[in-house]
Amino acid sequence: MATTLTINGETKSFDAPPDMPLLWVLRDILGMTGTKFGCGIAQCGACTVHVDGRAVRSCVLPIGTVANRAITTIEHVGSTPSGAKVQKAWLEAEVIQCGYCQSGQIMSAAALLAATPNPDDADIDAAMAGNICRCGTYVRIREAIKLAASGRQS
Amino acid sequence: MRILASIVVIAIVAVGIGVWIIRGPGPLDFAGGTKVALGDYSAGKPAGVPAKLEKASLVERGEYLAKAADCMVCHTKPGEKDYAGGLAFKLPFGTLYSTNITPDKDTGIGNYSDQDFLNAVQRGKRHDGARLYPAMPYTSYTYMNDEDVLAVKAYLFSLPAVRAKAPDNTLSFPFNQRWAMIFWSAVFNPDTRFAPDTSKSPEWNRGAYLAEALAHCGECHTPRNLGFALDNRKKFAGAITAGWHAFNISSDKATGLGNWSDEDLISYLSVGHAPGHGSASGPMGEAVDHSFSQFAPEDIRSIVAYLRSVPPQSSPDLPATTAPVAPSSHKDGVTADARGKKVFASACASCHGWSGESPVSPMATLTGTWAVNDPAATNVAQIVISGTIRHTPDGALSMPAFGNAYSDDEIAAVANYVTARFGTKGSKLTAKDVAELREQTAE
Ligand code: FES
Ligand code: FES
Repeated sequence: MATTLTINGETKSFDAPPDMPLLWVLRDILGMTGTKFGCGIAQCGACTVHVDGRAVRSCVLPIGTVANRAITTIEHVGSTPSGAKVQKAWLEAEVIQCGYCQSGQIMSAAALLAATPNPDDADIDAAMAGNICRCGTYVRIREAIKLAASGRQS
Repeated sequence: MRILASIVVIAIVAVGIGVWIIRGPGPLDFAGGTKVALGDYSAGKPAGVPAKLEKASLVERGEYLAKAADCMVCHTKPGEKDYAGGLAFKLPFGTLYSTNITPDKDTGIGNYSDQDFLNAVQRGKRHDGARLYPAMPYTSYTYMNDEDVLAVKAYLFSLPAVRAKAPDNTLSFPFNQRWAMIFWSAVFNPDTRFAPDTSKSPEWNRGAYLAEALAHCGECHTPRNLGFALDNRKKFAGAITAGWHAFNISSDKATGLGNWSDEDLISYLSVGHAPGHGSASGPMGEAVDHSFSQFAPEDIRSIVAYLRSVPPQSSPDLPATTAPVAPSSHKDGVTADARGKKVFASACASCHGWSGESPVSPMATLTGTWAVNDPAATNVAQIVISGTIRHTPDGALSMPAFGNAYSDDEIAAVANYVTARFGTKGSKLTAKDVAELREQTAE
């Protein structure tokens, strides 16, 4: 079935059934492999993207439900104000270890800062709890989010 | 001798009165009007198929009726062939497996004559004379007329025969004594066909036939009596069935359907969702996907007309109103259960949102559903454990099963948090309650 989605401001058309999860479309059909597959059951956060600016798990999101909505992925989040701040802070705090979870972490952090410009620890917990990092970079993630919020990055 | 005789008489009378009291009224007795035989009713056509299928073949008519009676869900094991049986029903006294109703001669119903099939569907009697357990809702199907039952048979016989033998039941004594069901049937199966009520409209009569004889709503939504049969004194008052709470569908304003608009009911039945009332999931989700969504629009309207007439029954266990939308920040609103909040933040918030209004799909909105407003949290815990998959006009939508990812403790905590945040009164589930719910779920 021909479907059209708005991804990173561009219109993309492709053939896929309406119940295919967005993650499959991104990675397998459109070749946008920045968004990662971790668990496939909304448990790890690796596949996080934005729909209308809010962080959602693309692995359980059928494309039939997101037609006409603005989808943003890791490839494009750097051109949003909060995404740019987060990416910069991430580099400065050297958050990343193996990197597998990090596109999801950055998407969740960017959505958090867009909604809550000055998050405290509880806000960070509430927004980031669904993003698992098996390398355990949590401490640096928290630091980087605070750095991005403070606007004190070099 | 005299004394003995009087004791016997008294005993018989006592048993008779006891049976009469336990059995209570029939499912349609509340309507109270004059009943006539189906053949003598000319105002409308309660039985059969909707007008657009009037001219269709016997098999097509049977297909419509088989879907209306929702045969497939119980007679199909997930992942196996349709109608080949083998679905497990976990009961407190053992496990029962549904039978293969494809036309296979050895393992299915291929050897059934028309009379055999009528006996099974209307009387709970198997081809070999053995009795069926009432997990097969023959006390409802008994209201179907012969023509409709045989149309269903014609449809089933048009399907490919599948060779599949269901596992043996594992019921404990005395429940493994099938012959005892003779007595149960004698008391609880009216063995009678639907009789239209002349004081009601043709639409009502069609709705009554569909809801009672085919869709068997009462089998889940009516509480059971001491004999494990439907207690129609509390018709449609809601009950726990297979580990899920089938909510009150009487016309009670606060806890039943009395305040639902016609559009809400039509939408809930035909697509499994009504704005402000949430989405069908679990067994009702299956009933919508496989049965109600296939109904002709006029049949859905008839059911709605019928439901409206069922006397109100209040559910004292439910609050008088459902809770409004929760605050959009995780900081506002309840924070009682820190552990539950943590689970919610990691597994639930990205789809359901902190306000309960889903950023993803209206189908996933929690606000306004009975599930989150039920202080027993049965369905919340159940859906967390087993997930749900719904087939909508926009494709399938699913919630993953978290039963293997979280412990009983964590599931209890998140259910308590969810009911407190999005409902009127938080639940107090314990790990033990969750363990028990896991036991009751069918596969
Ligand atoms: S892959 Fe989507 S949450 Fe893990
Ligand atoms: S950096 Fe390796 S999983 Fe997070």
